[in-house]
Amino acid sequence: MIEAVGLSKSYGKTKAVDDLSFEVRAGLVTGFLGPNGSGKSTTMRMILGLDHPDAGTVTLGGRRYHDLHWPLREVGALLEAKAVHPGRSARLHLWSLAQTNAIPKNRVDEVLDLVGLASVAERRVGKFSLGMSQRLGIASALLGDPGVLLFDEPINGLDPEGILWVRNLLKSLAGEGRTIFVSSHLMSEMAQTATELVVIGRGTLIADTTVDDFISSNTVATTLVRSPDAGRLAGVLTSIGATVSVADDGALVVTGSTTERIGEAAHAAGIRLHELSPQQASLEEVFMDLTADAVDFHGTSGATVPR
Amino acid sequence: MTTTTTTGSPLLATAPGRAGLRQGILSEWTKLRSVRSTWIALLVIVVAGIGLSALISNVEAGRWGTLGAADRAQFDPVRFSQAGEFISQFVVGVLGALIVTSEYANGAIRTTLATLPRRTTVLAAKAVVIGAVIFVVSEVTAFASFFVGQAVLTAHGGKTLPEGSTTLTQVKSSFIPVATFSSTGAARAVFFCGIYLTLLALVAFGFGLILRHTAGAISLFVGVLLVIPLIIQILPSSISDSIEKFLPSNLGLAMIVVTTRKTDFAGVLLSPWAAAMTLAVYTVVIVAVGGWLLARRDA
Repeated sequence: MIEAVGLSKSYGKTKAVDDLSFEVRAGLVTGFLGPNGSGKSTTMRMILGLDHPDAGTVTLGGRRYHDLHWPLREVGALLEAKAVHPGRSARLHLWSLAQTNAIPKNRVDEVLDLVGLASVAERRVGKFSLGMSQRLGIASALLGDPGVLLFDEPINGLDPEGILWVRNLLKSLAGEGRTIFVSSHLMSEMAQTATELVVIGRGTLIADTTVDDFISSNTVATTLVRSPDAGRLAGVLTSIGATVSVADDGALVVTGSTTERIGEAAHAAGIRLHELSPQQASLEEVFMDLTADAVDFHGTSGATVPR
Repeated sequence: MTTTTTTGSPLLATAPGRAGLRQGILSEWTKLRSVRSTWIALLVIVVAGIGLSALISNVEAGRWGTLGAADRAQFDPVRFSQAGEFISQFVVGVLGALIVTSEYANGAIRTTLATLPRRTTVLAAKAVVIGAVIFVVSEVTAFASFFVGQAVLTAHGGKTLPEGSTTLTQVKSSFIPVATFSSTGAARAVFFCGIYLTLLALVAFGFGLILRHTAGAISLFVGVLLVIPLIIQILPSSISDSIEKFLPSNLGLAMIVVTTRKTDFAGVLLSPWAAAMTLAVYTVVIVAVGGWLLARRDA
């Protein structure tokens, strides 16, 4: 279990993390979600005792990282896949890590097998693709067979097959009772991997909840309705208390009612319907809406062309 | 789907002991030996040491016939055999800096500090490994260079000095002096050559810890060895005379020369032991500052 209480960290005048508290429970995959630059990596580094918090504490099973006697056997982390000397072979890289925590040599081969790098174990890491480097980073996290695993953007650079592999690996690791904390800036990815969510923006907590709750509490049920008699239907629906807006293509976007009630009302008024479909806001949209104020760097939409 | 199998021998987090210096040293040694640049650099130390010893000894022996009595008195067969030190000091500087700055360059320092959360342990492990490796290679090279140098001098007709004599006393000698380990100061000079290089590697290691940047640390190191002496020389001699002997490069010279060269070096060089102690103090201070910063700063 990971427990952060009142974590704060500034770099100069920039507040990277501000009074952040959350809990990550064992046996579940917890997604750590936030736009780029929202403080995810800073938080990860503070969990590992690499950056010193200005205020607050973060503990793993009640103890600070610094106090762990054999840290790799309790906590595995993938921070940056490319943070490896390019001239060293994958096997010797892992062996040098294993030695720090008195992990036997056969475990190096085990994790190489596990991540599918056994055949390139002797190859220099500098020649690895980003996807292979991610796998090597995952192997190093698993080296000590730890109960807590931190992954910072583990799917970056992976192909679809690799993404699926990571997703299943994380789930099976959680199924073994481990605590899995995985960061991403992609909501859609988290929705497919995690069951729990810690969402941050500009270093502050936006939500600490389950993925399902996060979606349902942040989406408004809307219904898309098409009818040849849209104008009359809009009046009817408004009269039953729904809110109606018209989409670009003339379809009605109805909120504040259900598909059943809309269908009944249309039938009662003798209006034909061509479409009646419940809409779910995409997770990406929910996430975007929620973190819109918390994004540090907004892109401008479209370049201004001088006339 | 692959399953995560645990090891046959479970990795108990509650096992006795903790990740400490022993584990750190083993890991740092694996890291150092597993990159090609280490071996290239060590090879340069050996080749430069032995090669320059042969070359310089050969050149100096060839000039013997043209030397006057005063110059013959300062003929230092030990010093000539350690000429490779001039090149090796930069090589050990690069190695000393890289053991820390290469990890800052690619971010691996975070992995290192996560595997061994006690930063003083990381500092000690790196210092022990780079210090020990440089010490062994430098000493082996220094002794091998000594024998090669003396062999070259002997080939030019040089003769072994009487036991216990210093090279300086051979003012009237008509033959090229060849040193043995019983020659006064010879064993000390050769041994100190390795010590000098080891301390320099640790100085560069300290610079690496402080600056966390390869080019910066190496520039500072080269600046201290080459540029500062030039600046000091421009100063009025009343000032420069009192400073010069404390420059690392002159401390090294004091550690390695055998002739006291009263005429050349009167008051300019410290005694060999004083020089070694001074350089050791510099090293401890620089590494301590680096270690303090390592413990204090975010990784």
